[in-house]
Amino acid sequence: MRFIPLSVLLLGSWLALPAAADEGRALLQRLADAERTQSFQGAFVYERNGSFSTHSIWHRVEENGKLRERLLQLDGSAQEVIRIDGQVQCASGALADQVVDSQLWPARTLNAEQLSEWYELRVLGKSRVAGRVTSVLALVPRDQHRYGIELHFDQQTGLPLKSLLVNDKGQLLERFQFTQLETVAPAASNLEPGAGCRPVRLAPSPVDTVEAWRSDWLPPGFSLGSVTQRRSPASNESVACQVYEDGLARFSVFIEPLRDAAVEDVRTQLGPTVAVSRRLKTDDGDVMVTVVGEIPLGTAERVALSMRSAAEVVQ
Amino acid sequence: MSRETLQESLSAVMDNQADELELRRVLAASDDPEIRATWSRYQIARAVMHKELLEPRLDIAAAVSAALADEAAPVAPQVQQRGPWRTVGRLAVAASITVAVLAGVRLYNQDDITGAQLAQQSTQPALNIPQVNGPAMLAGFNTSEEQSAPAASAVGQGQPGWHEQRLPAYLRQHAQQAAMSTSEGALPYARAASLENR
Repeated sequence: MRFIPLSVLLLGSWLALPAAADEGRALLQRLADAERTQSFQGAFVYERNGSFSTHSIWHRVEENGKLRERLLQLDGSAQEVIRIDGQVQCASGALADQVVDSQLWPARTLNAEQLSEWYELRVLGKSRVAGRVTSVLALVPRDQHRYGIELHFDQQTGLPLKSLLVNDKGQLLERFQFTQLETVAPAASNLEPGAGCRPVRLAPSPVDTVEAWRSDWLPPGFSLGSVTQRRSPASNESVACQVYEDGLARFSVFIEPLRDAAVEDVRTQLGPTVAVSRRLKTDDGDVMVTVVGEIPLGTAERVALSMRSAAEVVQ
Repeated sequence: MSRETLQESLSAVMDNQADELELRRVLAASDDPEIRATWSRYQIARAVMHKELLEPRLDIAAAVSAALADEAAPVAPQVQQRGPWRTVGRLAVAASITVAVLAGVRLYNQDDITGAQLAQQSTQPALNIPQVNGPAMLAGFNTSEEQSAPAASAVGQGQPGWHEQRLPAYLRQHAQQAAMSTSEGALPYARAASLENR
């Protein structure tokens, strides 16, 4: 038995997989369709280390195909967002600050084909969430550069009712879970903005110098999604921000000039989100590269070390 | 706590047998030069026992940065003086970088756990973590003060508030860009909202 060629084994497992993988892909595809075609309302909880919150959601597919969605946090401050066809119309307080330029980038849809390249799709069976029968799909990362995800889909509608993010040790990083769901169209009154929901303005920002940065190394499957530039939260420096994604996981790279300031490198983790800051030398003086995202610490560290200014690349 | 207990913990960490308490104890004591020296002695002892080649004062960040720096430098003039030892030296460098990367992965993961646990312990939500001297930061992770590598990061005491002023905003911008630019449903929104809860 020891002499069975490895290639035969590989081929065998490859041939055995497609059935399960196809089922997984079908679930993902159904999810993408469900959110476009299914009206619903309900409540869900979100939990990560140090934070637990409850939210309501109203999601209505209108006759002309338009999607109206309202999300409202039920405890603490009344965080609120209203979206029409994925475009934010109004948002409350702090949530509104950041909307501005990311609106210019097209909304992405879940691509099952692309995802199965970086995650192994395993159908785990059935479970029950929010009083409904669900199918469980695990997205197991094929390398160490992303986290695993466990998704529970409503069997009746295909909507995702529960999502767990798990690291390579099986530790739970965050939980998103419906507690109650009704698959009826919400009343129009429930989709009206609350008092704290401020209309969002769109202000394109210049992105000329952002191209000056690129990464020597990226985790496989990740590609540049958007590039923005804005004022530093603490000074007048301009901070370049690049967003990379693999279709599911996402990280942002911030590059801020240091101007001789003595600042230490920093690494921290907040639930599913990691932040790694590293000082980088360039011809124009040092900069601080900060990688923020739902990726493992080691991957973020490597990305931070791999950022290069375009000038350096040309030389 | 006695030095012996600490050394036992250290030994346990090295063998990957440490429980969470021990790991935290060792991390807390990791600024102590004596403990660092003990750690590196243990590593050498283990390397000898396992017949491994090991660079005792291993500095991952410095090693990787140095490797990157080497890559950028023009290597053409060195071609003439190629001898058998040169190749061996290169192999050794490559091997030590591999070891550095492997060791790095383990360190990352350990840090990862402590970070997560510390976050769990804190009763205050969210944004108390971005403090430069806070326990979850583990800022002085690399041992760059022990080695003067060319690309070692300039570590200074100045400006304690630099990251405090920026990290919360970066985290927010990241979460909200995700929440606002995708149609992946409610999860990115919930992530962004959870950063606003104080």
